[in-house]
Amino acid sequence: MAYLAPKDYSKDPALLEAAARKMAGDLDLDWMQKIRERAAFRPGNPHRGLTLADINGGSYGPDSVPELVRHNFSMAPRGAILPKGLPSLGYTLNRKSEVWADAALALFEEGKSRHWAPARDIPWHALDGADPASREERALRQLCSLLSGVGLVCADIAARAVYRLNIEFHEIKYLLCMQMLDGARIAEATRKRALYGAGSLGVDSQALGELLKMVADSDSYPQSSAGLNLHLASLLQSFARHLEWATDNAADAMIWTRVAQDASRFLSYGVDHLRTLLRARPGEAEELNQHLDLLDNGLVGALGATEVIEPLIVLSGGAQPVARLYETLAAELFSRCESAGLGPRRARSPLCDFLKLLPGSS
Amino acid sequence: MTIPFPSLEYFQALQQRTREDSDIFEKLGVCDVDFGAKVGERMFSVRFEVCECVEVREGGDPTALDFVLAGPPEIWREMLQAIAQHGGADAAHTLNTLTHVGNQIQVEAQDAEGSDKLFRYMASIQEFFDQGRHLEIAFD
Repeated sequence: MAYLAPKDYSKDPALLEAAARKMAGDLDLDWMQKIRERAAFRPGNPHRGLTLADINGGSYGPDSVPELVRHNFSMAPRGAILPKGLPSLGYTLNRKSEVWADAALALFEEGKSRHWAPARDIPWHALDGADPASREERALRQLCSLLSGVGLVCADIAARAVYRLNIEFHEIKYLLCMQMLDGARIAEATRKRALYGAGSLGVDSQALGELLKMVADSDSYPQSSAGLNLHLASLLQSFARHLEWATDNAADAMIWTRVAQDASRFLSYGVDHLRTLLRARPGEAEELNQHLDLLDNGLVGALGATEVIEPLIVLSGGAQPVARLYETLAAELFSRCESAGLGPRRARSPLCDFLKLLPGSS
Repeated sequence: MTIPFPSLEYFQALQQRTREDSDIFEKLGVCDVDFGAKVGERMFSVRFEVCECVEVREGGDPTALDFVLAGPPEIWREMLQAIAQHGGADAAHTLNTLTHVGNQIQVEAQDAEGSDKLFRYMASIQEFFDQGRHLEIAFD
C-alpha cells in the first residue's frame, strides 16, 4: 500500500476551519516574517545570466552543508526554514563527499546551454546519398543499435540514483536529471540514425550487456558513478570520436560530435566527483580500484565482442585504426582515473593484456 | 583584405567573426575554454568565455591552457584551405578527424580533464576555425 500520512486531513476540523477563516480574509501572514537569511543575488556575469553559482551564498550555498546531513530528510530546499514534523523521503545518500562535485553546477548550466535536438538539428538529408545495403552502412547501423542501448542505460543509472540523494545536494540532482536527458538523447539520435531511410536495427551484444549490468548493479553510488561517468562515458566519447573520423557526411559528423560533447560532461563530473570523494576519504581508493578492475574486465568483453569489433573494423577500413582507438580509449580512461586520484591503473588493469593482442600494439 | 597565416591577425580576425556571427555561437552554447593553436613553432592562445572568443594572443604558457592543438604548418594550411573550399571543414579535415587515429594534429594537455574540453566544446571550436570561410588568407 502507498504511504499514508499520519493524519486524515479531510476530517481535521481545525485545518478546515482555519482554511475557511483565511478564505474569508482573516490572514495572519506569520510566514512572511520568518526569513532565515536575506539574499541579494545577481548575475556575476550578465552574459552568462543568473547561474546556480550566483545564488549559492550563505546558508543557500553548498558550503553550509555538513559532510553528514542529519538535519533534513524532507523535500525542503536548502536554506529554507524547516518546520517540525516534515516527513522523511527516505534518502540514502546523505554524505556530501559521496556525491558532491564542485564542477556539477557549471556542467548543469552547460548541458542546458549546449542542448541539441536530433529531429531538427541533424541534416538527415545528407544521408540520402548513402547505399543502405553497403557494408559500411550496415556496420554503422549495428553500432548505432548498441549505442542506443548504452544511452538508455546511462539514463537508467542516473535515474536509479537521483531520488536517493538528499535534497541538500540539489545541484547533483539537477545534474543527474540532465544526464537522464543526455542519455535519452544519445539513445534517440543513434536509434534514428539506425532506422533512417532504408535502415534497420542490428544484433545486440551479450558482453556489452554484461558490462552495462555491472555498472547498473554497482554496490554504491561512487562505484556506480565510476562505472557510468568514467567507463561508459569513455566508451561513448571514444566511439563517437571514431565514428566522426570514419564518416564522410555532414549528418554523421554532427551526430557524433554532439554525442562526444555530451559524453564529455559525464566524464567531467566523474573525475571531479571521485576526486572530491578520495580527498575526503582516501581509504576508499582501493575498494574503488577493485571495482574498476571488474569493470575493465567487462570492457574487455565488450570491446572484443564480435558485434562490436567487426563493425568497427568494417567502418575503419581495417583493424589497425580499431587497435589505435582501443589503445587511446584505455590510455584516456587510465588518465582520467589518475586525475580522479585513483593512481596508476595500467599495471593492474586486464585491459592491458587485451591491448597487447591487437595488431601493431605498442 | 588578405590576412597572413600563421599570424596574430588571423586569430584576431576569427575573434571578430565570433562577434559578427554571434548567433551561431550562442546557439552552440556556453564554451569556457583556454586553448592553444601551435602552428609549427608558433603558438597562439585563444580564450573563450560564455559564448564568445574574448582574447587571442601570440605565445602563452601551454601548461596554463586546457589543451594545445599542435601540428605542422602544412596540415593547418590543408585544413584552412578545405574550410575555404567547402565553406567549413569537410569530413576529412574536421579537428576531430585530424586529431584522431593519425594524429596529424596532436592534442597536448596536462591531464585528461584538459583534453576532454576539446571534445566538450568541439562544435564551438570547429565553428571558430570554420569562420575562416569568410577570410582571404595568404600562407607563409
